[in-house]
This record gives sequence, C-alpha cells and structure tokens, in this order.
Amino acid sequence: MELKFYIESGIIESFVLGLASEEEVEELQHMRRLYPELDTEVEYVERRLERAAFDEPAMPPVEIRERVLQKIRWEEGHAYSDPSSNYTFINIQPKDGSHITVHRWWKIFFIIFFIMSKVFLFLAIFYYLKYRMSQEQQRSDNLHQMIRQEQTQSHLL
Amino acid sequence: MLIERLMIGDPAAKEQLYDRYAGALYNIVLQLVPVKERANEVIVKVFLWSFQHIGTFRTSGHHTLFAWLLRKTREFAIKEALPETALAGTELMKQEDGLLQQFYLMLPADQQQVFRLSYFKGLSITTIARLLALPEGQINEILKEAIKSFRQFLKKTWN
Repeated sequence: MELKFYIESGIIESFVLGLASEEEVEELQHMRRLYPELDTEVEYVERRLERAAFDEPAMPPVEIRERVLQKIRWEEGHAYSDPSSNYTFINIQPKDGSHITVHRWWKIFFIIFFIMSKVFLFLAIFYYLKYRMSQEQQRSDNLHQMIRQEQTQSHLL
Repeated sequence: MLIERLMIGDPAAKEQLYDRYAGALYNIVLQLVPVKERANEVIVKVFLWSFQHIGTFRTSGHHTLFAWLLRKTREFAIKEALPETALAGTELMKQEDGLLQQFYLMLPADQQQVFRLSYFKGLSITTIARLLALPEGQINEILKEAIKSFRQFLKKTWN
C-alpha cells in the first residue's frame, strides 16, 4: 500500500523527466532493488512517455542527420585502422631470382675489405721493391768485393 | 537488439538510433530551446554523447533508450538555453503542440509557474523559492502536485 502511495507521488516521472533531486534518485534506486514491482513501474512510465513523445515527432533538418552520420563514419574510419598500418609495404623488388638481398653490414665489410686489399697490395709492391733494391745492393757489393779481390791479386802478381 | 549492437559499436545501429529517436527528442528540445539552430546543436550533441557513452546505459537506471536519451537531452537543452531564457520572460516557445506544453497549459497558475521554472528552465527548488520569494517547502509541494498531475496526464492518454 505504501509502495502504491510512493508510486502515485510521481517520483518515477520526476526521475524520468530529470526533476528529482540526487537524494530522491538514490532513494528510488534503492527502493527498486527491494521492490521489483517498482522497477516494472519505472519501465511502464518510460514506455508511456516514449509513446507520448512519438505522438508528435518533429524531425530535425536533414543536415543535422548528415552531421551526425558523418561523425559516425569518421569514427568508424578511425576505429578500424591502426595508425601504424596506415602505410602499406609494397615489395618492388623483382622476383626473377637474379637479385639477392643482403644485410647492410655487408656494405661496410666490403668497403673495409676493399681498403685492406689496397693496403696489402701497396705493402706487397713496397716490400717487393725494397727486396729488389737490397738484392741489387748485395750484388753490386759482391761485385765490388770481387773487383777488389782481383785487384789485390793482380797487385800481388 | 539495438542496444547490443550499439554496445559493440555497429555504425548501422547508430544510424538506426538516430532515425528512431531524433524526431521524438527534437520535439522535446524545441520546447526547451526556442532558437532552432541551438535546438539542432542539442540534437547533434546528444547523439554524439550517446555513441560515446552507450556503456553507461545499463547502469543509468533507465529501461528504455528513449528515457536515457531524454534525460541527457534535457540536460544539454537547458545548458544551451540558459544564457538568455533562464530568468527572462514568462513566454515559452511556440511549440504548443508539444507534449509537455500541452500538459503545462492545463495546470493551475501556481503549478504552471513552478513547473515552468523547474522543467523548462531547469532551476533548482532553492532558486525557484528565492525567485518567487516563497519557502522551499511550499515550492516543493507545488512541484509535487504538478508531477502528480503529470502522472495522471500520461496514464490517461498513453497507457
């Protein structure tokens, strides 16, 4: 009986229209959990109000619908695309088997290898020439020695 | 169910929500916001809000999407209308065939005044009491009477 009085006070309508104070709303939510029939009554009131509002609908201008829908499309476009996947990787490398792909460190390795080969080539030539020079020196030394020996021998004779 | 589809963010469901409720809500907004452009803004705001906050519907204490949207619509509409119309003029909007105005016009004068300030202008009991130089308790009683009549009005016509 008390519940009926509570319902008839218009508390639900007050809540649905947004006129109820915070305490009133809290009390209503609490009461709804205790009395399922009160919860059902909330649904009745909402449906009644919905029917009433639909009795005289006034459609907003078409551009308002467009604005709302545009926002939906915009959000949709964002929701389904990850920013990192905005770039599509296109493999433009010919797949004819005549090309290979190597790590970029190979470049450094080949530069070092090239420089080292030049260095070694230079060293090889350098030491070869040095060797030739020392050989020649030795031969001429020997020659001098031989000449000197011959000279001394001819003196003795 | 529309609500389930909205929960998972189905764009077609959002469109459906708009098509189903925009008309009924616009009717309510026009009663609260007298300027058409601003009423339009309210509709855009309400729907964008609803798409983002659909998760709060289940805990809002509302059974229908309409009632859930209506609460927010009135909130936005009053904010939108507040600067010019809150305290000025007793004149209401031209939307005389609107549901709440139909009801409002049937009320006795004292209830009309309080209901107008409370529902259409969104003023608190305290503010209304100060404005009319009456005790808060009395304003509360008058408003309660008006809402009781509103319950009867709804039940009689749309049960």
